[in-house]
Amino acid sequence: MLWPVVRRALIFLVSTLVASLLVFWVLDNGCEPARVALGTGGTPAGVQALCAQMGLDRSLVVQYLNWLGGAVRGDFGTSYVTRAPIGPGLLDQLTVTLWLVFGSMVVALLIAVPLGMASALRNGRPTGYLLSGLSQVGVAVPAFLAAILLVLVFAVNLGWLPANGYVVPAADPLGFVAHMLLPWVSLGVVQGAVLARFVRSAVLDELGQDYLRTARSKGLTPVRALIRHGLRNAAIPVLTVIGVNLVTVLVGAVIIERIFTIPGIGNGLAYAADRRDLLTVQAIVVTLVLIALLISFVVDVTYSVIDPRLRTRAAS
Amino acid sequence: MRGKRSGAFTALLTVLTVGLVGCSAGSTSTPSTSTSSPSTAASGSATDGGTSSGPPTSQASTSAPAGDGTMAIGFVLEPISLDFTQTDGAAITQALLLNVYETLVKQDQDGQIVPLLAKSFTASPDGLTYTFQLRPDVMFSDGSPFTAEDAVFSIDRVKSDWKPSVKAGMDVVSSATATSPTELTVVLSAPSRSWLFNMTTRIGAMFSRTGVADLANTPIGTGPYTLQAWNKGDSIVMERNTTYWGDPAPIKTMTLKYFADPNAMNNALLTGGIQVVSTVQTPEALSQFSDTAKYQVIDGSTTGEVLLSMNDRTPALADLRVRQAISYALDRKTILDAAWSGYGTLIGTHEAPTDPWFADVDKYPYDPEKAKALLAEAGQSDLTLRLALPPVGYAAAAAPIVISQLAAVGITVQDSDVDFATWIKSVFTDHDFDLTIINHVEPRDAPTLFGNPDYYIGYDNAAVRDLFAQADRATTDAAANTDYQQALDQIATDAPVVWLWSFPNLIVADAQVQGIVANQISAAFELATISQS
Amino acid sequence: MTELLSTPPGRRSDRRVSPLIVVGAVLVGFIALAAVVSFFWTPFDLLYLDYQHRSAGPGVNGHWLGTDLRGRDIASRLMVGARTTLYVGIVAVGIAALVGTPIGILAGMVRPGISEFVMRTNDILLAFPALLVAIILAAKYGGSVTTAMVAIGVASVPGFVRVIRAGTMQVMSTDYVRAARVAGRSGPATAVRHVLPNVSGLIIVQASSAYAIAILAEAGLSFLGLGAPASVPSWGRMLAEAQSQLTTAPLTAVWPGSAIALAVLGFNLLGDGLRDRLDPRLLGR
Repeated sequence: MLWPVVRRALIFLVSTLVASLLVFWVLDNGCEPARVALGTGGTPAGVQALCAQMGLDRSLVVQYLNWLGGAVRGDFGTSYVTRAPIGPGLLDQLTVTLWLVFGSMVVALLIAVPLGMASALRNGRPTGYLLSGLSQVGVAVPAFLAAILLVLVFAVNLGWLPANGYVVPAADPLGFVAHMLLPWVSLGVVQGAVLARFVRSAVLDELGQDYLRTARSKGLTPVRALIRHGLRNAAIPVLTVIGVNLVTVLVGAVIIERIFTIPGIGNGLAYAADRRDLLTVQAIVVTLVLIALLISFVVDVTYSVIDPRLRTRAAS
Repeated sequence: MRGKRSGAFTALLTVLTVGLVGCSAGSTSTPSTSTSSPSTAASGSATDGGTSSGPPTSQASTSAPAGDGTMAIGFVLEPISLDFTQTDGAAITQALLLNVYETLVKQDQDGQIVPLLAKSFTASPDGLTYTFQLRPDVMFSDGSPFTAEDAVFSIDRVKSDWKPSVKAGMDVVSSATATSPTELTVVLSAPSRSWLFNMTTRIGAMFSRTGVADLANTPIGTGPYTLQAWNKGDSIVMERNTTYWGDPAPIKTMTLKYFADPNAMNNALLTGGIQVVSTVQTPEALSQFSDTAKYQVIDGSTTGEVLLSMNDRTPALADLRVRQAISYALDRKTILDAAWSGYGTLIGTHEAPTDPWFADVDKYPYDPEKAKALLAEAGQSDLTLRLALPPVGYAAAAAPIVISQLAAVGITVQDSDVDFATWIKSVFTDHDFDLTIINHVEPRDAPTLFGNPDYYIGYDNAAVRDLFAQADRATTDAAANTDYQQALDQIATDAPVVWLWSFPNLIVADAQVQGIVANQISAAFELATISQS
Repeated sequence: MTELLSTPPGRRSDRRVSPLIVVGAVLVGFIALAAVVSFFWTPFDLLYLDYQHRSAGPGVNGHWLGTDLRGRDIASRLMVGARTTLYVGIVAVGIAALVGTPIGILAGMVRPGISEFVMRTNDILLAFPALLVAIILAAKYGGSVTTAMVAIGVASVPGFVRVIRAGTMQVMSTDYVRAARVAGRSGPATAVRHVLPNVSGLIIVQASSAYAIAILAEAGLSFLGLGAPASVPSWGRMLAEAQSQLTTAPLTAVWPGSAIALAVLGFNLLGDGLRDRLDPRLLGR
C-alpha cells in the first residue's frame, strides 16, 4: 500500500529535477541577459562585467545548483530586468491564475456532465447526433475567439459585465465574480466541450456493462440506473482527463489573461518573454511544469489507491 | 527603449509660438500660457544672460478644487522597474516624471523652459555658469526638505550612478555647488544649448539624499503625487501628495492601468473600467467613440516622427539613387490615411509640427515612374530588402502598405516581426538590417539620428555634423535656428530615411475629463493637471 | 487554446464509412484545395490594397468576402492563410510523427524496465504544452513561424509515443509476432516487417488529431504575435487584426474565426472517423 505511493513520489521528484534542468539548459543563453539588462547603454566591456557579476560566466552546472538551492526555498533570484525579487510576484500571479482555472473547470463540468450524459443516452438518435455535433463544434472554437465574442456581446453591447480587469476576491467578492465571469465562461465552454466527449464515451462504456443491463431489466429507467450505479465508475476516467487537461488549461490561460488583462501567471510569462527576462521566464516555466507533474502524481496515486488492479501492476 | 541622447537646442524652444494643434470634440487645457510671444522669449533664453522667473505653480491650466475623486487612465507599456536611473524605458518616465519626480525647470505647453523647483535662474553671458534660486518650501515625500545639497547630489549622481545612455547629457557639467541652502550654481565646461533643455528631462529629476535606497520599488520625489501601490502586471496607483508645495492635484487617487492589448484598453473605456485612453493605438477604432456627449477625442501633436529607417551602410542603400527611389515610391498621404486613419502630419524632414523651423518640405513627392527610373539607373531593378518590424501598432499598420508600394516599383520586401530586445541588438547595435519602421519619440533628436555616423541609420555627412555643432554653440536663437534649418534641409535632400508621418498625440477620454495636456512635448504624462467635472 | 491530449475512443462496432469521415474529409479537402489553388490563383494579388474600399462588406468592388482594415482582399488572404495553416501543421506533425513513432515502437518492444523509463521521460515532456514551448523558444530566439512549428511539433511528440507504444505492445502480443520472434527474427526486422505496418493506421489517426491541435496552437500563437509575420497571411493574425473593428466591421473577424473552427472540426472529425474504423484491439483499451 505504501510502497507504490513512495515510488511515485520518487518518480515525481526525479521528474521535477529533470524538467527544471531541461528548462535551465534550454533557456541558457550565455551573457545575453547582461546585454538585455543594459539595453542601449551597454558597451561590450560593461556587458562582460555585468555578466561576471551576475555569475553567468560560470559553468551551467554551478549556475543550476545555485539556482536550485534558492528555488527550493522559494527564492527564484532577482530579475535582472526589473531588479525586483521574482518569488513574491510569482505567488500572487499564480493565485490569480488558479482562480481562473478553477472557475473555468467548474463551468466546464457544468457543461460537460449534462451534455455528455444526454448525448450518450440519446446515442444513435437524432438528438444524440446533434449533441455530439455541438460538442465537436465547441472543441473546434479557439478559446480566444469565444472570449472576443463574449466581450463584444456581454460587455460592449449589453454592458452587463466589465470587459476586462481583475478585482481581488477578498476586497470585493461580487466585483471579483463580475470580472471573472466572462473569462471563466470563455475557457470553460471550450474545455466543457472537450470533456463532454469523454463523459459521453465513459457513460457509453458503463451503459454497456452487465450490471446496468440487469438494473434496467429490473425496471429502472436508463437515467436512474446510470445515476444509481454507473456514474461513479464513469467519473474515474473523466477525472483523469481533467487532471491531464488542467496543465493545458493552465498554459492556455495566457491568451485569456491577455484579452481580459488579468494579472495572472500567463500574462506574467508572456510579459517576461517579451522582455527577454529569462530568469523570470525560467521561474514561471518551472513553476508551471512543477504543477503539471504534481497533478499527474496526484492523479496517479489516487488512481492506484482506487483501483487495486493498477496498484498491483505498478508494484510489479 | 531607444535610449538616445536628446540632442536638444534649448534656446530654440523659446521662440515657439505654436499652440494647441487640432484639438477636437470638447478638448482640454485652456491655453492660459501668456509667454508665447517672441518678445518674452529672451526671458527664458538663459544663454543670452537673461533671467527667468515663472508663476508660483506650474499647474496654470487647472483651477479645479482638490476633491476625493478617483480616475483610471489606460497606458500601453508597463514600466519594467520604477528606477529610470538604471533602466531605459519610456514607460517609467511617462509615469513618474512631473508626477512623482520634479525637475528644476520644465517645458511649458509652448515648449518654453520655465522654472519649477527653481524659483528663477540666471546664466552668465558666456553661457558657462547657471545659478538657480530654489524654492524654500519644498519637501520630499519621505518628509525631508529639498535643498541645494539635494540638487547637487542629484546632478552628481547622474554622472556617478546612472546607467542609461541619456546620462551623457550631464557630461558637460564640470561642477555643481550649493552656494546656500536655496542657491545652486552649475558650471559647464563649454556652452551648451542642450544642457538646460536636458534638465527638463529625466536626468534633471531631483532626488532626496536619503531616498535613493530602493528606487526600483520606492520612488521618493517632490511631485504632486506619491506612489501608493504597484500591482505588477496590472496597475500603478498614485495618491495625491498632501504636503505638495504647489496647488494640490484635483484628483485624489490616480490609477495607471496597463493594457498589453489595445482592444482591451478600448473596451475598458467603453465599459467604464477606465476614463482615459492615453494613447490610441488603433485609430480605426475611434468611430466607436464618436458620441461627443460621452467621449472626447484629443488630437494633439507629439515630438515623435515615424520613420522608414534605411541602413545607409548596406551597399544598395548607400546609393543615393536607391534611397531617392524608395522615397519617390511611397505615397505617404495614402500610407497615413490607410495606416493611421489620417491622424498625424506629413513631414518631409526630421521635424515635428511644433518645431519652430517646421517647413512644408516635400523633396520626393510620390512618383513611382521616377522611382523605377532611378532604380534602373542604379542597376537595382531587382532589389530585395529586409524589413524588421518592432511590436508596435504603427509599424504593423504601415508595413503592408509600404511593402505593397515598394513592390509596385520592383522592390521585394521580406518582413519579420522582432521584439524590442532583438530590435536593439540587430538593428540598433549590430546594424544588421535593411529597413525598419520606428517612431523616434524624443524631442529635438535630429542631431542624435543624423549627427552621428555610428547611429544605427549610418548617415554620414560631415557638413551636417558641423552645422549641428555650430548650432549647439550658437549664442543667439536666430543663429542656431538658421544652422538647424540648413542641416535639416540637407538631410531631406540626402534621403537617409523616409519620414512617414509626424506622430499624433491621440487620446480618447470620457467627456467629463478635463485638463489633459494635448500636445505631448516631453516624455512625461502629467496627471496633476487632470480633473473631472 | 485547448488541446486534446488524448481523444476518447469512439464506438467500435461501426464498420460502415461513417458520416464523420465524409464531413471531415470534405472540410479538410476544401481547405487543402484552397491552399493548392492559391499557389496559382487568388481573386486578388496579395500585395494589392484597395485603399478606397477598406473594411468593405462582401461583394463590394469584386471582393467576395470584403476587405480588411487596410483594404486587403479577405478571400485571397484566407486562401493563402490555408497554406500557412497546412504548412505549419505538416511540419509540426511531421516532427512529432518522425520522432514519436520510432520512440513509441522502441518503447513497446524493449524490456518493461526500459520501457517504463522511456514513458516516465515522456511524461516529463507531457508537462510542456505547445504554447509553453513556443513562449520558451520565443523568449530565447524571438517568435517566428519556425519557432511556432518546432514548438508545436515538440509538444506533440509525447502523444505519438504513448499511442504508438500501446499499439506496438498489442502487435507484439499477437501469436504470429511471437512465432516470428521464436523463429529468430531480429528486433529491427520485427519492427519494420510487423509492427510498423500494423500501427500505420494509428499514426494516421494520431496525426489527424495532432493536426487539429496544431491548427489551434498556430492560431493562438499568431494571435499573440508569436507566429507568422505581417506579410504572411495567417488566420490567427487576421483574427487578431480584425479585433479593433469588431463593433464596426464584425465580418472581418467572422471569416478567419470560422476558417479556424472549420479546419479544426474537419481534422477532428476525420481523426474520430478513422479511429472508429480502426482495429479496436490496436487502441489498447
